[in-house]
Amino acid sequence: MKEFWLGKLNSHALPHEWFTILGSISFIMLGLTVIALLTYTKRWKWLWNEWLTSVDPKKIGIMYFIVGGFMLLRGGLDAIMIWLQQSLSSGASHGYLSAEHFQQVFTAHGNIMVFFVAMGLIFGLINYIVPLQIGARDLASPFMNTLGFWLYVAGVVMVNMFFLFGGEYAATGWLAVAPLSGKAFSPGVGVDYWIWSLQISGVGTTLGAINFIMTILKMRAKGMTLLKMPLFTWGSLCSMIMAVSVFPLLTMTLFLVFFDRYFGTHFFTTDAGGNAMMYTNLIWMWGHPEVYILMLPSFGVFSEIVSTFSHKPIAYYKSNVLGMIGVSTLALSVWLHHFFTMGASAEVNSAFGVATMIIAIPTTVLVFSWIATMYKGRIRFTTPMLWFLGFIGIFALGGISGVLLAIPPVDFQLHNSLFLVAHFHSTVIGGVLFGIFAGLNYWFPKIAGFRLNERIGRYAVWCWIIGFFVAFTPLYVLGLMGATRRLDHYDASKGWQPFYIMAFVGGLIIAAGVALQIVQIIASFIQRKRLRDTTGDPWDGRTLEWATASPPPSYNFAVIPQVSTRDAYFEMKQLHTPKHAYEDIHMPKNTASGIYISIFAFLAGFGFVWEINWLAVVSIIGIIVCLITRTFNEDSEYTIPAEVVKKMEKAQAAKVRTEHGSNSDDEADMGLIEFVKTVLAWALGMALSIVRKKR
Amino acid sequence: MTHHVETHEEAANDRVMFGFWVYLMTDLLMFAILFAVYAVLHGNTMGGPAGRDLFKPELALAETLILLTSSFTAGIGMIAARRGIKRQVLVWFGITFLLGLAFLGIELFEFAEFIHEGHTMTVNAFLSSFFVLVGTHGLHITSGLLWLAILLAFITKRGLTKANVRKLALLSLFWHFLDIVWIFIFTVVYLRAFV
Amino acid sequence: MTSNGMSKKSHKPTPKSEHGTTRSYVIGFVLSLIFTVIPYYLVTNKTIAGSALLATILGIAVLQMFIQIFFFLHLGRGPKPFYNVVFFFATAGIIVIVIGASLFIMNNLYHNMSPGEVVRKQAQDEGISQVGGAQTGACQGNKDNHIVVIKDGVASPAHTQANRCDTLTFLNQDKGKREMVFGPHPNYHSYGGEDMVVLDDGRPETITLNETGGFMFHDHLYPNLNGHLTVAP
Repeated sequence: MKEFWLGKLNSHALPHEWFTILGSISFIMLGLTVIALLTYTKRWKWLWNEWLTSVDPKKIGIMYFIVGGFMLLRGGLDAIMIWLQQSLSSGASHGYLSAEHFQQVFTAHGNIMVFFVAMGLIFGLINYIVPLQIGARDLASPFMNTLGFWLYVAGVVMVNMFFLFGGEYAATGWLAVAPLSGKAFSPGVGVDYWIWSLQISGVGTTLGAINFIMTILKMRAKGMTLLKMPLFTWGSLCSMIMAVSVFPLLTMTLFLVFFDRYFGTHFFTTDAGGNAMMYTNLIWMWGHPEVYILMLPSFGVFSEIVSTFSHKPIAYYKSNVLGMIGVSTLALSVWLHHFFTMGASAEVNSAFGVATMIIAIPTTVLVFSWIATMYKGRIRFTTPMLWFLGFIGIFALGGISGVLLAIPPVDFQLHNSLFLVAHFHSTVIGGVLFGIFAGLNYWFPKIAGFRLNERIGRYAVWCWIIGFFVAFTPLYVLGLMGATRRLDHYDASKGWQPFYIMAFVGGLIIAAGVALQIVQIIASFIQRKRLRDTTGDPWDGRTLEWATASPPPSYNFAVIPQVSTRDAYFEMKQLHTPKHAYEDIHMPKNTASGIYISIFAFLAGFGFVWEINWLAVVSIIGIIVCLITRTFNEDSEYTIPAEVVKKMEKAQAAKVRTEHGSNSDDEADMGLIEFVKTVLAWALGMALSIVRKKR
Repeated sequence: MTHHVETHEEAANDRVMFGFWVYLMTDLLMFAILFAVYAVLHGNTMGGPAGRDLFKPELALAETLILLTSSFTAGIGMIAARRGIKRQVLVWFGITFLLGLAFLGIELFEFAEFIHEGHTMTVNAFLSSFFVLVGTHGLHITSGLLWLAILLAFITKRGLTKANVRKLALLSLFWHFLDIVWIFIFTVVYLRAFV
Repeated sequence: MTSNGMSKKSHKPTPKSEHGTTRSYVIGFVLSLIFTVIPYYLVTNKTIAGSALLATILGIAVLQMFIQIFFFLHLGRGPKPFYNVVFFFATAGIIVIVIGASLFIMNNLYHNMSPGEVVRKQAQDEGISQVGGAQTGACQGNKDNHIVVIKDGVASPAHTQANRCDTLTFLNQDKGKREMVFGPHPNYHSYGGEDMVVLDDGRPETITLNETGGFMFHDHLYPNLNGHLTVAP
């Protein structure tokens, strides 16, 4: 009876190790704090109506940033745990983590960073910025947008659920290679959590990608042909077309792993005809394009930033576009380089090796496009531009090490060594993450209405750049010395420990950089009145998103602009294009369907993890019912009448006239010391007022 | 060719059709994985019976013809829908529904026979890949039938509104696409076993 | 099971747009019927056989797919949905890569990683030769390795003294391929299961010395390059 209702769940699944107890308590405390704050400020209804059920891509974008940012801290914590373990665990010492636990930590680190940090933050940027850049009011399907976001959140919850129930995550590496991920070798629930967190958020990603493609291809402002689109939109389009092409492969492969574990089929088992090598083949067919999916929006971000801060249109726009398309297309043909050593013949290996090296060419075209843009431009070294410079150095290093690894005989030495780890961190941190940070810094004034503190921003960039080199140069060296990845312990005689310790120090510098980024946001918030962006165009931008107020009204544009050139907004500023008459604006209504479906999806996944069959079945039925209810909902839009639009626009114009324009010179930006003083003063003030109240 | 300014509704309609088409492409890719897996694993019978020993080509032919006809009747029904003739819509799509049900019946009968004889999907990789490939298609057919039933019920109650016609168009797209996938299952799974 | 009572005539002239006419559905239906029955007949009556039959039925399946895409799905008809065509062909391309490359890679892996192949590679790497296809069980464990370096047209050392089950490595440091055979020129015989030891530029090859006795070896293309080998029991 109990087995029917609870499946494999029992009291042993509850937290009973130090890290599960710690993790559970942390999450619960966090949750309780949020609940307490919301209740105290009576903001539950506001939260539900204004944010959670919103279909506004601007709001959804911000929610992606918050969840993604939170997961960045979580994944970063995993990284520090790895660094610490590897610096300590040499010779007689075995560090503070057991081997099994260490394996779960690096697995979680990889999954979280790729799926929940990078994809989340990128989806946030695309959601917020792309509709503004193409002159649209919303995405093609607001419902799919909120559904995609909440499925992503369900995945986030699932990947953290093991703290509370089960106590173990997958110990297989971030891609859970078969047969290690099969039931025979991983009988616990860890791999099941892995499957379902990825599966649920993967479906969200696929839906989001379809949505973005529909939007970019069908909802551009009049006159904006494909070759007049801003490059961030191009990068997003290429990335989402790739996503739509390869996420289905991941979905089905995950289903096959699930079938092997749940129903006992023999796709990737070691017996009865299963072929574990097929799993490696299929998973990397998705896995390689995935990293380019992450990369292309960052390329787009950098194109925007270089152009704006060099005060020039992007040089060789068409080549830049072709470069992005080239990278996307080639990305689908190179996946075997992840398993050169699995045993294919030299002919096969070299074919894919050559294909991999060719990808360097379109990537270089992009770099030359940026350099040519900067040439003879009036360059301003704002924080976004500094992130770009960091990217150039670090990503180039990653690219070069990648071309090295693309040579099969070299890869036979370096496969799964720390050289590989250093390579992909160079490209992902230098490329993807710096792109995201640059984009967030660049578009922050548009999103929040005030720009970020430049001074502290600069400190953060330098901490990241220096920290990166201190952390990962030793890894390049270690890899060449023969150190394998994912080692929880090594011989003292190897002489590797100093390098690991140096890497840990680098990690601490990076952590300081992250702390400074948080400080940057807080400091900017404190000085927000002075940093306010009143014109909507703090950087003298060139693309349409700068034509709106900061932050933009819910409908983005009162009148959809007519476009005739690239860098449409720059053109508008030169020509002072007249405004057209206001019209009624149709806006989509909020909906809770996305939340409900995602809750059911989470419950279904949870049911499958713990083999609670009735829960899985009921939840699937719930999803179907919600979907049917939604599709027959005819009442999904509301209208803002033209007069109301006119009033809102007039009010915004009045604000621009009365408030002073923001200055992007950073003399008055507070520095670190001033920040510390401000915070201490505030804390002291709070403490005193509490003491006074008590009396 | 007449150019006319798209209304808000036409534009939305066009977007939905395109978005659904893109979704169908992702579904096709999922089937591609299943075909790839079947192609790689279908020989791994571990000494047990292979497709040629288990499949009955006449059954497969019957399924193929039934599904093809149902695809045709769905197309005719769609023409009636665009002309706004509610009764014809219900008749043609009703036939589609029944044919789809017949297809499922035969497929379930085949599965039941295999399972009864002990050829379940946990026996070897060939059977695993067979059941999952054909079974996934069957699941899609089932979803399509459920969708169709609900849609027909709605059309009976609320009539052939523009929204309902659009939903019918999406369903027809889905149905045609499933027939195309079945062509390949028929060829690669059933016919190929006897080559 | 065929449709009954359907009207083949259109009542009003329907626009030739991306929506269908009755005619297109009928044509598509009939053509698909034909192209379903043909492969069925071909397979059940075995009129062709083997890979030709496979290629034929696959080709017909692809053909029927295009028929249905054109007549049922109306793709490529009107000037509108152009993106649909693009996406369809892109997807088709990816499917070809997914299935085709998987088959190619897995097949290659199957041949290179099958147990027999793995053992053969391992045997070659470790110099355990096979006599007549069967591995010599008598030669296991660590034995001495002797190296004969071929440089400037000379093999050195000219004479090698070894024991049975030792290994002998020919190392070609000359420019160009060497083809070592055993026995005096112009006759030669096989030794230890090897008819000829082919040495590419700069490459080593190792054989197991599992036959006792004295043997000459030479490059059968340049017989001046020769040496001698004595294998003691």
